[in-house]
Amino acid sequence: MTTYKIIAATGCPTGIAHTYMAQEALEQAAKEAGVTIKVETHGQIGIENELTPAEIQEADAVIIAADKDVQSERFAGKRVIDVSVSKGIKEAPQLITDALAGKGHVLGGVEQPEASSKNINGGGMGHKIYKDLMNGVSHMLPFVVGGGVLTAISFLWGIYSADPKSVQYNEIAALLKEIGGISMNLMVPILSAYIAESIAKRPGLITGFVGGMIAYSGGAGFLGGIVSGFLGGYIIVLLSELFKKLPKELDGLKAIFLYPVLGVLLVGVSMHFITIPMTSINEGMMHFLAGFQNSSPIVLGLIVGCMCAFDMGGPVNKAAYVTGTALLAQGNNYFMAGVSAACIAPPLITGVAVILFKKYFNRDDRNAGLVNIILGSTHITEGAIPFAAKDPIRVLPVMMIGSSIAAILTYMLKVQVPAPHGGFLVLPVVTGKIAWVGAILIGSIVGGILLGLVQKYKTEKAKKD
Amino acid sequence: MLQEKNILVDVSAKTKEEVFAAIAQLSVANEYATSYDAVFAGLQEREKESTTGMMDGFAIPHAKKHEIIQAGIFIFKLKEGVEWASLDGKKIHFVIALLIPAVEANTTHLKLLSQVARLLMKAEIKQQLKNAQTKAEIVQIIQANIN
Repeated sequence: MTTYKIIAATGCPTGIAHTYMAQEALEQAAKEAGVTIKVETHGQIGIENELTPAEIQEADAVIIAADKDVQSERFAGKRVIDVSVSKGIKEAPQLITDALAGKGHVLGGVEQPEASSKNINGGGMGHKIYKDLMNGVSHMLPFVVGGGVLTAISFLWGIYSADPKSVQYNEIAALLKEIGGISMNLMVPILSAYIAESIAKRPGLITGFVGGMIAYSGGAGFLGGIVSGFLGGYIIVLLSELFKKLPKELDGLKAIFLYPVLGVLLVGVSMHFITIPMTSINEGMMHFLAGFQNSSPIVLGLIVGCMCAFDMGGPVNKAAYVTGTALLAQGNNYFMAGVSAACIAPPLITGVAVILFKKYFNRDDRNAGLVNIILGSTHITEGAIPFAAKDPIRVLPVMMIGSSIAAILTYMLKVQVPAPHGGFLVLPVVTGKIAWVGAILIGSIVGGILLGLVQKYKTEKAKKD
Repeated sequence: MLQEKNILVDVSAKTKEEVFAAIAQLSVANEYATSYDAVFAGLQEREKESTTGMMDGFAIPHAKKHEIIQAGIFIFKLKEGVEWASLDGKKIHFVIALLIPAVEANTTHLKLLSQVARLLMKAEIKQQLKNAQTKAEIVQIIQANIN
């Protein structure tokens, strides 16, 4: 492997001229100074001459000459000189001299445990998957926060305020809930799109979006979105391998015609077949659950808790929720109490984790965790998805444990909740208010401690590597 | 993309705006764009973000617009220096304008444009372009140095 003493990234908003002039200037100046350099360009075409994690690792210094984001979080822990693209063009020799002289600042290492935990699965494929997932999650997060908070605010007019038939109906609340809902419904498509974009750049964005929409409308939830993201990305990778032999003159045709048409076709058909069983999974789970309706609080709580936290909005979670609302209509207020507890716990778990284990989470996660206290309190389980989507194999079991505890305690204490959503806002109509809140808090605190320990373990392991 | 009909030597322009006007006019006349106003505005918009006046008298204005229908390179050699707020403060004598359609997906075109931009960082090329007297010479210098 070639190693470079200095690495650099250039970029400008239009991405036609300055990006490449800065690249040329830096390369010339490095040559003049007799040092090796690799310059990554962020232009209109996309990222070219991309720096690998190993090259970043080995380099002594990083020069960023850009007027746009060049994903500088990759350089966490490195010494970075950060200037405008014009400076990169005009003062390239000075920048190289500064880089060699040890100037610049070390980019926030502690702020970004994310970047350092990339080695979690020993680099290679594991790191690649993690990076792709992270790209999806970081783009999805603002949609969850924006939509979730607006929906939560709409509940302040009453949990039925968006229903024109209800006496609580309020136009502003209905509008807020509608807007919030649209933002939250974009979560799965966005997650999918940016996982695919991380794998296959712009062409991947197309397949990822379409795949994600199918996952969303097919009821496959965020786990379906992760599947469609990877599928969409690798379909483009596959197509680009197949098209390698095509003459270069057809590059334009590839980008504007072949990738979109064939990519969307392939991802669409695949996702269609993947989402077909979702309905039967959903029905199967409802049937399964029906058999346990009258079993002991511990068994029922365990099943409901695991189901609600397993896919947060996917077919399994919906099976529990729909069963709850159906039983509510029949006058059974006990069952829904456990479902609600199990749905409220996951976001609260993230809130508890970021409060108790603050230093192991990065700033975005910390803020998202705090917002999740509001979302959890209003039964918006989706708030926990960004945390789960990053590392489903470790995080989902933790969520399931926390939700199960909340549900088991709720059933044992015979709480009755006559409303299908709204979280703590419906407390006035709950029978066994303190018991219910207590059950949820205990589940959330246990889950939060476990989630914090998982994050602590990941961060410390990453440091050792 | 680089054609003699898009090159003008001995252009009389007193200001940056006059240069933009000339680029817009020629691009519409040679059917690279459908609207004079759009090209003119596009060039000005880009200029507002940061100067395209580089060093040693070269400027590389560019615009990306829906009204631009094919990617093109327009080269003007100016009779006298024009004030451009350039990186080194010198007046501009040589203008290489890049026009890009808003939805340009052709990576070959984009790569070519970026290669031309890179050329302007090379001292010897800049000298050659300054010395060039005819359209044919300018085309030849640029084509010899991009692949």
